[in-house]
Amino acid sequence: MKRIFIDYQKCQGCRNCVLACMVEKTEGVSNLWEIDLSHPETESRNYVSPRDRFTTVPLICRHCDEPECANNCISGAMKKDSLSGLVKHDSNPCVGCCICVLSCPYGVLRPSVKEEEGVLKCDLCADKETPACVSSCTTKALSLEEVEVS
Amino acid sequence: MKNPLISGFSIRSPWFKDNEIINKEKEDVVMVLCRTADEQLEVFLQEQGEETSFHRVAQQKVKCGFGLQGVCCKLCTNGPCRITPDSPCGVCGATADTIVARNFLRTVAAGSACYLHVVENAARELQALARNGDEIRSEATLQRLVEMMGIEEKDPHQQALLVSEKVLEDLYRPREEKMELVKRLSYSPRYHLWEKLNILPGGAKAEVFDALVKSSTNLNSDPQDMLLHVLNLGISTGIYGLTLTNLLNDVIIGEPSIYSAKTGFRVVDPDYINILVTGHQHALFRDLQDQMAQEETVKLAKKAGAKGFCLVGSTCVGQDMEIRKGSTEKVGEVYCGHTGNNFTSEPLLQTGAIDLIASEFNCTLPGLERLSETYQIKMVYLDDVAKKATAEKPEDHSEDILKRALESYQERRGQVKISIPQEHGNPSALTGITETSLKKFLGDTYQPILDLITSGKIRGIAGVVGCSNLTTEGHDVFTVKLTKELIKKNILVLTAGCTSGGLANVGLTNPEAAREAGENLQTICRELGIPPVLNFGPCLSIGRLELVVKELAEALDVDLPALPVVLSAPQWLEEQALADGAFALALGLTIHLAQPPFILGGKTVTQVLTKELKNLTGGRVLVEGDVKKAAQALALELETKRDGLGI
Repeated sequence: MKRIFIDYQKCQGCRNCVLACMVEKTEGVSNLWEIDLSHPETESRNYVSPRDRFTTVPLICRHCDEPECANNCISGAMKKDSLSGLVKHDSNPCVGCCICVLSCPYGVLRPSVKEEEGVLKCDLCADKETPACVSSCTTKALSLEEVEVS
Repeated sequence: MKNPLISGFSIRSPWFKDNEIINKEKEDVVMVLCRTADEQLEVFLQEQGEETSFHRVAQQKVKCGFGLQGVCCKLCTNGPCRITPDSPCGVCGATADTIVARNFLRTVAAGSACYLHVVENAARELQALARNGDEIRSEATLQRLVEMMGIEEKDPHQQALLVSEKVLEDLYRPREEKMELVKRLSYSPRYHLWEKLNILPGGAKAEVFDALVKSSTNLNSDPQDMLLHVLNLGISTGIYGLTLTNLLNDVIIGEPSIYSAKTGFRVVDPDYINILVTGHQHALFRDLQDQMAQEETVKLAKKAGAKGFCLVGSTCVGQDMEIRKGSTEKVGEVYCGHTGNNFTSEPLLQTGAIDLIASEFNCTLPGLERLSETYQIKMVYLDDVAKKATAEKPEDHSEDILKRALESYQERRGQVKISIPQEHGNPSALTGITETSLKKFLGDTYQPILDLITSGKIRGIAGVVGCSNLTTEGHDVFTVKLTKELIKKNILVLTAGCTSGGLANVGLTNPEAAREAGENLQTICRELGIPPVLNFGPCLSIGRLELVVKELAEALDVDLPALPVVLSAPQWLEEQALADGAFALALGLTIHLAQPPFILGGKTVTQVLTKELKNLTGGRVLVEGDVKKAAQALALELETKRDGLGI
């Protein structure tokens, strides 16, 4: 499967990856001009956090080999796809308990303000060759690499 | 969530994915270029291969969303702060609108400062000319100025001195003293409205100064107050920076006249010692032009094996020279023609035929520096506001420039390959059109145009003005497509700025371009022998368009917003363009932009500029990134205004 790699020393904290994710995941929006940056429903599936005094780090779903979010999911909404290796979220069975949010060891998962969405979950931009966050990263702190699925 | 203020409009992604062309592989490196409407230029760029702006746009294609929306603030060490749904205010509490308004005001202030610098220098040149008793090269323009300003002096040099001093006095007034010439130079219904809105400018430089104060850290945070300041800056930019600069330059250099010019790289003759000019200040070249035309100077060049010295036009000052070439011997003899707009200057160096670059203002791209080293071209600057890292200051204005050009010619010729695409550009572009030459052409009256508008044969006038950029579908691409759409709809297009350089090079300013126009406009063009796109030359001439519009309004006895006139700066590039735009808004005109001016993050600012301003001045910003939709919206605007006039 393909996995996003992070070279945090290259991250400048510009949050281009966050805005690119917002554009990608906001309905009816096709570019950076169009997103409403003041509206709570403009949501991203990734974040940039301070790492220490000098560096920042982009937090992006790892699509873990042993996904705690899926392992602890009580409704079966969060599952690891054995073929693609992606950890996928289906908002239909999701009951909004947020166990996945509490379980994520990286603190990436967050509940959506839109109840019907449940949780904000990266799908690695399944319909794109390169995820929006990776292609928008100016410093190449993010890269996409092919890895063996264990 | 999609921004509700832009629903119904299309704004293109600044990523130009659809508009890139992959160059042939050169030394194992695949080069990606952005498109240009100028086909010959595109071929030339691909053949050359050195890096230009056309290549760098691909390296810069990932944009910052906070920057695009104007919601990044770096006014203090608590920042840079950026607005997101999780962080709706800066650390200081500044809202998105405050941040956007401050950034916007600063941008317009910088643009206004640029144009004011240009008029200040023109006035100083005129002052020196008057004091020295040098030749006045347009008595007629001087008399117009004398009349406009209410000067009673009879001696022409004294008149010129008073004109220059009146301009300078106004520029240097403190902010609490209103500029005196505004009342005399503006259309009276507008003046009264500006007075009512309390946006009449005090001393222009002081207004720019306080715009910077206002928008600094923890000072003004009222978006509406800052937007009114933007309009105030627009008025001084337009009346002084644009309109007066043209007229002062006419007195100093000569009045433009209509003629058919060659444009593009084909004008460059490698047998001459070629000096490329970049900038906006024609007045600064008077002495150089005069010296170049002298016999001894020509002899000097001949001794070195060249036919003479030649000025090669590029950017707006090249267009200033172009429009004045027809009537001014001194320009005519030493100027070969206009090669193209801002982004055409880099590829021009790749022809190898340029020996010296003389810069005095923008658009002097920093990219010229690297290419000048590759092609061994010396650079000088006439004004340190356009000092390039590789440029030197000539000791004595003209003689030293010529000496450096000669040395450069002798050193580099034979070492650098010369390849000029002879087919590039336009063999017969109609140029030299101004508020006076057009009127003269029509029989000393605008009545023929008014008749065509009122009868409906021409639906209205669209000024397609401003810059060229590389992101709105590529170099000149949107401008050319939009212009074609407008003329098809029987809308007469007037152009000034880099747009006109681009439109000339693709042939739209030739009388033969009439075939691209709608049936009615086509017939009119054929009868009058004019193109459907009238080339007014440099961006400064946007001030001349305003003079035309003012006369049309006077003839119909209506205020400017009532006229079937629209503006579009489709590929606006820079701060100056926004100051121009502020003038258009103060005049009450609708101005179309294909890319929003970094304001969408501020809802109040966006709402005011795109909608509510219409109730204040009659003007508004129309953002539309789709060519066809933009042409339709502009045509609809004209029809609405026609309905308003009952025509």
